[in-house]
Amino acid sequence: MNWDAWIPLLVIASSLLPGLIIFFLAEDRKRLRTTLNLAGALVKLALVCWMLWGVYHEHHYETRLTLLPDLELVLRAGPLSLLFLTLSTILWLVTTVYAIGYLEDSPHRSRFFGFFSLCVTATVGVALSGNLITFLLFYELLTLSTYPLVVHRGTEVARRAGQSYLVHTIFGGALLLLGTVWLYTLTGTLEFTPRGFLNDLGEEHRPALVIIFALLIAGLGVKAALVPLHGWLPQAMVAPAPVSALLHAVAVVKAGAFGIVRVIYDVFGVDFAAGLGVTEPLAWLAATTIIYGSLRALFQDDLKRRLAFSTISQVSYITLGVAIAGPIATIGGVVHLVHQGLMKITLFFCAGNLAETLGIHKVSEMSGVGRRMPWTMTAFTIGAFGMIGAPPVAGFISKWYLGLGALEAGQEWVIFVLAGSSLLNAAYFLPILHRAWFQEPQDAWPEEHHFGNKETAWALLLPPLVTALMALGMGMLASAPFSPLGWAQFISQREFYRP
Amino acid sequence: MNEDIYGIFLLIVVGPLLLAIPALHSRVPWPRHLAIIPALLLIVFPGDASLAMPWFLFGTGFAVDGEVRWILVMSVAVWLTAATVAKSSRRNPAYDRATPFFLLTLAGNLGAVLATDLVGFFSFSTLMGYGFYGLVVHAGDAEARRAGRLYLIFLIVADLALFEALLLAALTTGGNLQYVVVRQAMAGTSSSQLYLWMALAGFALKAGIWPVHLWLSTTFKSAPLSTTLLLGGVPVAMGLLGAVRWLPFGEIAFYVLGMVIMVMGVAAILYAVLMFFMHAPLTMFPVWGTVAVTGLSVMALGTGLAHPAVWRQYEYLTYPFIASLGMFLAALTFAIGRLQDKRQAPEVDLQRVEVLSPWGEGGMGVIERWAEDRLLILRSLWRDLRLKAVEQYQRIFDWGKPAVFIWGWSATITMFVFLGLVFAWLAG
Repeated sequence: MNWDAWIPLLVIASSLLPGLIIFFLAEDRKRLRTTLNLAGALVKLALVCWMLWGVYHEHHYETRLTLLPDLELVLRAGPLSLLFLTLSTILWLVTTVYAIGYLEDSPHRSRFFGFFSLCVTATVGVALSGNLITFLLFYELLTLSTYPLVVHRGTEVARRAGQSYLVHTIFGGALLLLGTVWLYTLTGTLEFTPRGFLNDLGEEHRPALVIIFALLIAGLGVKAALVPLHGWLPQAMVAPAPVSALLHAVAVVKAGAFGIVRVIYDVFGVDFAAGLGVTEPLAWLAATTIIYGSLRALFQDDLKRRLAFSTISQVSYITLGVAIAGPIATIGGVVHLVHQGLMKITLFFCAGNLAETLGIHKVSEMSGVGRRMPWTMTAFTIGAFGMIGAPPVAGFISKWYLGLGALEAGQEWVIFVLAGSSLLNAAYFLPILHRAWFQEPQDAWPEEHHFGNKETAWALLLPPLVTALMALGMGMLASAPFSPLGWAQFISQREFYRP
Repeated sequence: MNEDIYGIFLLIVVGPLLLAIPALHSRVPWPRHLAIIPALLLIVFPGDASLAMPWFLFGTGFAVDGEVRWILVMSVAVWLTAATVAKSSRRNPAYDRATPFFLLTLAGNLGAVLATDLVGFFSFSTLMGYGFYGLVVHAGDAEARRAGRLYLIFLIVADLALFEALLLAALTTGGNLQYVVVRQAMAGTSSSQLYLWMALAGFALKAGIWPVHLWLSTTFKSAPLSTTLLLGGVPVAMGLLGAVRWLPFGEIAFYVLGMVIMVMGVAAILYAVLMFFMHAPLTMFPVWGTVAVTGLSVMALGTGLAHPAVWRQYEYLTYPFIASLGMFLAALTFAIGRLQDKRQAPEVDLQRVEVLSPWGEGGMGVIERWAEDRLLILRSLWRDLRLKAVEQYQRIFDWGKPAVFIWGWSATITMFVFLGLVFAWLAG
């Protein structure tokens, strides 16, 4: 193997090895654990930057390991995988800093950070997968590594949430496996290929391909929280805030949405899938999820639960973008993979800060909190406006391309879905902002902790500020070189225009 | 175009945004006034200038020319007055809490004035809109909250309508959203009717034009003078400016739509006149004045849509008209507000005069306290002088109500004469 073939493996190893070592560290080895966590995250970031530069200059990074005869584990860095890989790597670094601050002095930190690193390893594996079987392996590893994080608190509610998560995702994994095996028997290959590898199949296979598509989407739809497979996500918000941030913005939900993008682009191919008549029902399913998630969010008083339903709604923008099956909507869907991640992780970090610093868990307890925690609520405000789609936050860019793409593809009904969703987003985010900034604070906070003259600990405050600034920057500097938008345009061009 | 003033262009927007951070503006004297200085510099800078920002959003820019300068002058005058009025009431605890929203609104307003394309205008006017919400509700009472709620609903619906219009424009032009390009492109496309309706609805909601003026009247009732005097120069003027910049006036005739809009303008004026006579506490006078004046503007816009040739002939007057409209409404609101303040004072009370004084304790108040501590004789002399000055001031304003009444009648008669002339011209 040459050096370029080692890099994808090193990216995987940069979180796997620290994670395995951390499992065996005693609880009081705080400094070593922190060093391993941060060193792993920084090494991974450096390797990803290296690959970004390389892919931009037409380098080819691919690792092939034989699992079984005719079945290989393939790790490959292409434009789409690098987009997701960069997102997860950057957000892992930020979430690690946040988790270090959040779990200060709490028990079972070695176990937590061990599984945390495994979870990121699996996500990175999902991003780099070069074929469907590799994707499936890492997808299941992701399920197994996130379960202990969901039940980390060890309470009865956490155990129930973990159980629900496991049942849902294992069921989804089984459907995905079934679809993958069936596809393999039909084609003899599972290699991700730009514009798909099913074009040569005859007409007689169309009914089977429709069922396989449904199986794959259902399997992926569990993690992507498509209605009616979304039940686990609102329950899983009992997990600690860094885990919620990871589930909603970086790992699990995103892995599902990324999988749907992969299946449509690199397994079926957009044109082939549209010809099969499967993209339109998927677009309707995504639209239903968008409106349903927003409607449910409207009635939640628990802040994290409201954010969880918001995730259900927002992640389906990605599915909607690819299901519209046009070049401009593709840009909107793919770029929202990054934008939603940044905005949602900001909101979950802020929710964690409110809970850890003031004991606030409910929207009704947030009166006047903007005066007590102005920086946290500034970050929250940026994230919320991004979710609404207000310019110049990144969410505006996503909605712009989704709307434009829908008009270009002649699917005007999507405009009404986007408008309805924006209205609902405003209806459930703006009252929070009004309460936080304009209402008088209550006499005492539910459970206040003091951090000197700071509003909260630096490790808790910096991550949401960094991610909020990134969400703002990615909106304002959307046309700058190397922006996620530019990368998404590159991906769309490859899918639709390159010979 | 002169490209030597990039720094001023950026400071006009970035300055207020940075000053909006509480840790910064609490350490700077007169932050609201300070934030307006770059715009003032741009006004006095000779000649036209522009700044291209291809990296910002989808590639936008700022520019100032003879037309934009009209709006900029009006905006700076209105904002300076509002900043000064607000400073005079800074003993109110809500003052400090309102400062970030004041500065955000200012940044959005000036950005929208200078923006060279639709996305830039939309983005900055959205910032302006949400910032203004903070000014509407910052008093914190039930009436302010109701006004804020109404304003927010209108704002969100307006932004959605404008967003749809933007998408239609981008689809038609292939992404080039410069004002001129959009106006020309939208004149010759099948989606121009939908675009027109969306943009008109959006700007009517933003400017509070009759019959969607509800937020305007509620805000006038509940907000302090420092906010209400911004209404004419900021949301109303920006709504009209947006309509002029976005819609293909002078490019194509939409006769029926134009006539419908003209009728709505006439109805707005009649409604304002009627409301003035039926329900006319002094504080509501600026509301009906605004509704009437915007009705007049709507009539002009309708004329432009129905008769492109007329629009092209008088197009050069649009920016001075919007600027003078904003200035007039701000002046009217200011005058009525001050009159109201004076009339509410039960007797000439020096303590109250200090609060009402536009300069507050930062200027004369400090000197007065210094005199009180050290020079008792001088203080007594000073007090007598001020008492006399305030009595004079009050006497002038005692003439206010009859003057306003006379002004109202003469304005109404003038408007009816004007309407008659317009209809005679249309018929002939």
